[in-house]
Amino acid sequence: MMKSSVYGLLLLLVLMLPPAADFLESIMITHMHMQMPLLVISGIFMAKFFQNRFTGFFSKWNENGVPGILLFSIILVYWSLPRTMDEALTLTSVEVFKFISLPFLGGVPLRDSWPKLSSFWKHALIIFFTILFLALGWLYIWSPVQLCNNYLVIEQITLGWGFISTAFAMVIYLIYSYFMDFSKYE
Amino acid sequence: METVIKQTGKTQAFKDKANKVMGISLEDAKITKSYLSVAFLAILLGGILGLLQGLNRAGMLELPAWLNYYQVLTAHGLLLVVVLSAFFTIGYFYAGLSHTLGGLLPKVRKMAWIGFWMKIFGFVLAVIPILMNEASVMYTFYPPMAASPIFYIGLVFIVLGVWMCAFGAFINVASWRKRNPGQHIPILSFFATGVFVLLFFGSIPVAIEVFTIIPWAFGWVETINVMVARTLFWAFGHTLVNIWYLTAVSAWYVIVPKIIGGRRWNDLLTRIVVIALVIMNITGGFHHQIIDPGISEPVKYMHVFMSLAIGFPSLMTAYAMFAVFERTARKKGGRGLIGWYKKLPWGDVRFLAPFIAMAAFIPAGAGGIVQSTNQLNQVVHNTMWIVGHFHLTLGMSVVMTFFGISYWLIPYVSKRMLTPQINKLGVIQTIIWTLGMIIMSGAMHWVGLLGSPRRTSYSTYFDNATALSWDPYLFFLAIGGTLLMIGVLMQVYAVFYLMFFAPKGNTEFPVADVEEDEAPTPRWTERWGLWIVCMIVLVGMAYVIPLVDFIVNAPPGSPPYKTW
Repeated sequence: MMKSSVYGLLLLLVLMLPPAADFLESIMITHMHMQMPLLVISGIFMAKFFQNRFTGFFSKWNENGVPGILLFSIILVYWSLPRTMDEALTLTSVEVFKFISLPFLGGVPLRDSWPKLSSFWKHALIIFFTILFLALGWLYIWSPVQLCNNYLVIEQITLGWGFISTAFAMVIYLIYSYFMDFSKYE
Repeated sequence: METVIKQTGKTQAFKDKANKVMGISLEDAKITKSYLSVAFLAILLGGILGLLQGLNRAGMLELPAWLNYYQVLTAHGLLLVVVLSAFFTIGYFYAGLSHTLGGLLPKVRKMAWIGFWMKIFGFVLAVIPILMNEASVMYTFYPPMAASPIFYIGLVFIVLGVWMCAFGAFINVASWRKRNPGQHIPILSFFATGVFVLLFFGSIPVAIEVFTIIPWAFGWVETINVMVARTLFWAFGHTLVNIWYLTAVSAWYVIVPKIIGGRRWNDLLTRIVVIALVIMNITGGFHHQIIDPGISEPVKYMHVFMSLAIGFPSLMTAYAMFAVFERTARKKGGRGLIGWYKKLPWGDVRFLAPFIAMAAFIPAGAGGIVQSTNQLNQVVHNTMWIVGHFHLTLGMSVVMTFFGISYWLIPYVSKRMLTPQINKLGVIQTIIWTLGMIIMSGAMHWVGLLGSPRRTSYSTYFDNATALSWDPYLFFLAIGGTLLMIGVLMQVYAVFYLMFFAPKGNTEFPVADVEEDEAPTPRWTERWGLWIVCMIVLVGMAYVIPLVDFIVNAPPGSPPYKTW
């Protein structure tokens, strides 16, 4: 169990290496759709360590999983904004915040909250992110202006389609879980 | 422990009895027999064309004006890459579904027949323009070369026929799952599900490609976006490659252990291999485009990871297979570090052919990894090396497994028996095929490294010294091709003998059991919907960047070209 925490930390360290970070940040879509999810995943891996260390804290403050998932959502929405990405590239403090917030305030609460959430909340969360991704996709594709100082318009459009295709996959998942009655097969 | 053995012994006895009494239903058997007949007729025709091509390429045979090299190349590719592989895969897995799920549903049977005739109709449509020299675009039929529109319309019917069979399989599996709640899909049907998921999703891009090509080939639109078309083609082309491979792998995991009298590898890991191959496959298409312009270096670099990721489940397979061999041989009293190999049934073609197929996948897979690597690919991309590579993968790893399967599957569906004579013929055929393929594919690899290009008929390039130095290797290519033709004739004879003339009897469908002390497989392996969503996300990750680039920054586009 602790092994996964070590792997998570290793993943975070690799992502922090300047060549890795520079490479992923050099393309807009890999910055938002690869580096950021990987940071969250490193947090998911490390969560066990914090859960074991601060058992009381998690059971007291994240009893039904909703506060944790709210924190996760806020962090993710924050990092979906064009301006925050720009700032991460120009201000070191914001870049540092990115490497702290996504694993520890995003990934860790996600791991802690997900099993505690009812299926209603789980689906509500996926629906929320589907709508958010569609909206962001629309914004990035059809924005008449360049949204980030650091990325060209073509990269912005690419990111927009990345959002739309991810939203499409989530819609397929929602349809699948709506129409599938797992109890019939178990 | 004893009771466990007794119990499994009992269920085994019951299963065997049920198998013996009922066997495969005649209607299901007819489907598989028809599909396999077409597959092996395709190998006969495709083999003859291949020989003509090899002899021509070695400068030993002048083809007549009405049948040129590129026509032969197109027909050879289409027959072996599309017809042989699709018909064999469907015939084999439909027999597997029928055997492991208690028969095909009447509705599914009908779908299999509709699919069969759609594919045949589509194939006839595609062949007519090839014979008329109106479609010498080779198996990789992407723009800017344009064939007659009829050719593409034929391809549409082939794809629709394949989809029919894919949905038939899904319906049968879903119905079985409803009737057997809480149970895992039997392993062979699990493989079939994976293969049909890939067949369906992998052929969506080619369907889109063909639908954009048809108006262009008719001349309704003037130009086409070549890079988009190529990318869509390879999303399909690479998936198709891995569909045959996954079909062969299913026999390695499920059938071969039973034939050597052992048990199969860990059920959970087997299912993980299937799931991993299904999720990661489609994006592998990019390594066919490493030297394409229009894709930026960082994107190509990332795709090296995507492609090498597919190698991982293959390495798991390699480990699993040899572990099963060793375990089984040691149980039979095999000793020593590698001395146990003597206990394996080398004289049984049903084992020998797939074993050599597996062994061939070691250099074939290594070659594949070489080609997925950016710099190495630049050296070999347009050379005979690539031709050698896919003759090693398809012509050995996959086709020899198919041959091995045919020696029990055909007797099984025709309620006949494999005779010792045909087994012997099969062993000799396997040896001839192995020699032929090693010589031919080896020569192709080597001459490719020396710079001999692929996709061209014989030319000395005005007696250029370098081009002339390729000749000895091209002779080897022709010698290998001739041996392979002998192999084809023997194999086709064996197939039709087993189908119509062998002595009647009951042949078992060899599905191996898992080890007795194995932990139960977790339920999550059955969540196909989730794996499909993962696959879509991965495809999105892989294709959004280049496709947006190709479309937004599109060049003027290309008119249709007829280069022949």
